[in-house]
Amino acid sequence: MRLITRIGWIAVAMLGTAAFAVLALRRGETVSAAWLVIAALCTFAIAYRFYSRFIAHRVLGLDERRPTPAVRHDDGLDYVPTHRVVLFGHHFAAIAGAGPLVGPVLAAQMGYLPGTLWILVGVVFAGAVQDFVVLFLSMRRDGRSLGEMVRAEMGPAAGMIALIGLSLIVVILLAVLALVVVKALAESPWATFTVIATLPIAVLMGLYGRFIRPGRVGEMSVLGLVLLMLALVYGRVVAESPALAPLFTFDGRALAVMLIGYGFVAAVLPVWFLLAPRDYLSTFLKIGTIAALAVGILVVLPDLRMPGLTQFVDGTGPVFKGTLFPFLFITVACGAVSGFHALVSSGTTPKMLATEADARAIGYGAMLMEAAVAIMALTAACVLEPGLYFAMNSPAATIGHSAPEAAQAISSWGFAITPDAITGAAREVGEQTIQSRVGGAPTLAVGMAKILSDMAGGRSLAAFWYHFAILFEALFILTTIDAGTRVCRFMIQDLLGVFAPGLRRTESWGANVLATGLAVAGWGYFLYQGVIDPLGGINTLWPLFGIANQMLAAIALTLCTVVLFRMKRERYAWVTAVPTVWLLICTLSAGWLKAFSADPAIGFLAHARKFGDAIAAGTVLAPAHSLGEMQRIVFNDHLNAALCCAFMAVVVAIAVIGVVGIRRALTNPRATTCEAPEIPAMAEAAGHA
Amino acid sequence: MRDRLQQVARALRLMLGLPDYEAYCAHQRRHHPDAAPMDRGAFVRMCQERRFGSGGPTRCC
Repeated sequence: MRLITRIGWIAVAMLGTAAFAVLALRRGETVSAAWLVIAALCTFAIAYRFYSRFIAHRVLGLDERRPTPAVRHDDGLDYVPTHRVVLFGHHFAAIAGAGPLVGPVLAAQMGYLPGTLWILVGVVFAGAVQDFVVLFLSMRRDGRSLGEMVRAEMGPAAGMIALIGLSLIVVILLAVLALVVVKALAESPWATFTVIATLPIAVLMGLYGRFIRPGRVGEMSVLGLVLLMLALVYGRVVAESPALAPLFTFDGRALAVMLIGYGFVAAVLPVWFLLAPRDYLSTFLKIGTIAALAVGILVVLPDLRMPGLTQFVDGTGPVFKGTLFPFLFITVACGAVSGFHALVSSGTTPKMLATEADARAIGYGAMLMEAAVAIMALTAACVLEPGLYFAMNSPAATIGHSAPEAAQAISSWGFAITPDAITGAAREVGEQTIQSRVGGAPTLAVGMAKILSDMAGGRSLAAFWYHFAILFEALFILTTIDAGTRVCRFMIQDLLGVFAPGLRRTESWGANVLATGLAVAGWGYFLYQGVIDPLGGINTLWPLFGIANQMLAAIALTLCTVVLFRMKRERYAWVTAVPTVWLLICTLSAGWLKAFSADPAIGFLAHARKFGDAIAAGTVLAPAHSLGEMQRIVFNDHLNAALCCAFMAVVVAIAVIGVVGIRRALTNPRATTCEAPEIPAMAEAAGHA
Repeated sequence: MRDRLQQVARALRLMLGLPDYEAYCAHQRRHHPDAAPMDRGAFVRMCQERRFGSGGPTRCC
């Protein structure tokens, strides 16, 4: 390295350290988001330049001359060597979802510091490593999927366990995302109108691309986006009209039922009709929104009002219960480390890498970008007055239903806020109320509206930006729900096919309806349970989702570690082994506490006992209104505890199989991986000659 | 400039899970000259079917 570059990198390191020092040491006054941006960018730059390079050259041994699957199997369709900038966009669009936008917002209840540190440390040493190594493994195996690789490298039992774990995650994921949408749309005619308007718009796009101008995706997307913006603007008229507003005002229960019915219909319809066009809208909206938020933060450089640390690191916070360890590490999953990315990294991307060297920029680099999105979401939550943040994210059971009650409760925690400030904030974004709008999306939307209206348009546009952000998140999540329900349906058909082969036929109408119904019933049950939960539901479902997602990451990282041993690269196995062990510790302790903690606010079984004892004594405990409700709460507690145990069992089983695999690899003096043969393309070329 | 724009369009389409139609046609011409390639509409429909088919999740949470 030249002297001047070396000095440059030392300067970057010192700048980053200074930014961290400011973030960590400033007390009692606000900190500019600029320091957060600088700390994050310096961390990403150093991690990419040095750590990902170390992984690429030393640990994995990327070989630029070795032909990739795209080169070997070029079929003009799946396997196509693709320019790395183009492929980066594809990969990033696939990994960036609603997760990194929700988790950091919830984690903000502990202050901006814990979330920031975990996102930055987590992504550098766990998340980006997982994405990169899984992408590498899949690339060396002709683009095989995670499940296939687990089966090949760790045996059929591990493959089966991973599959069961995966289907559980999909169900919980869909339920929690649907809950986020319900919480954002409840009692909000403007938001509900725009989201419902996406249905006819998407169908129109679908018809256009099917019959009028077949395959012209660009044209139909422009058409759809224009109509969508018109719907968004018109939404204000709907919300302010006494005749129209009631037609689009629903409570959580009604929305949940509508969403469940919608999920069923959308998953049964042909994809060109609704699902694909709406996917296009949501993808463009997502990229646009992320870009707008990034520009907004960089231009405005808002002050962070949230303290670095709040008293809620002790586990008594209103947003989610539980101490910093382990619950922060499962609350912020996407953005720091997300098991779902292992599915994407072993999906379409590895089949399109033009050279092995590109895997570094795409695997490691795209995940750093996702962490940047998570940091932006955290920033948006922390620029709000802390009092307002807690008013939006605390369940009504904690802070009451009226603004004066809420202001009093929150001020007593030390975050001063007046009732007028709460109602004023709602009026500013064009809503009746924003109190107890848990789930992260509305908080992010208010934060975004604040940042973007500071940049352009002033306060008069705040309501527009708020509903733009809500629309973006709802649209995005609904597409995930449609696609996820279909995925679930195919998994169920595969599973049922074992017993009744006829049910496996995907073109069979009866099998289709049956499997879709089962899939929808699965996530619909958890969704409804979350909606009627007086504690807001997010409280229960988000930790379950976090545990499940980190469990998948632990599976993926275990696979990476086992393969490193089988490649005879055990010298470097710590690169994946250390994050694996960390995730095992986090998921197992969080799972254990959620199931067995003696504190009814945390442990499902303790909660069930508390309510069970009350039933035996014949008393009704708030928030339940009747003994029937009490019994349902007890049943759901048991169900959730059983899920926790299932997740833990999956993790432990995979870890044990992993250790056995590592020992076997150590006793074998030769490499034993199942990689595709090294240079068939050249051998083939030689054969032809 | 034109190339640059085409590259951007290609990147945007791939974000939507649509492979490059021109690359597909070129491949068909080179390797299967006697079979007629799908038209653009059929190509897009097939890609949509595959993206939301039984291949597993195509996106993250």
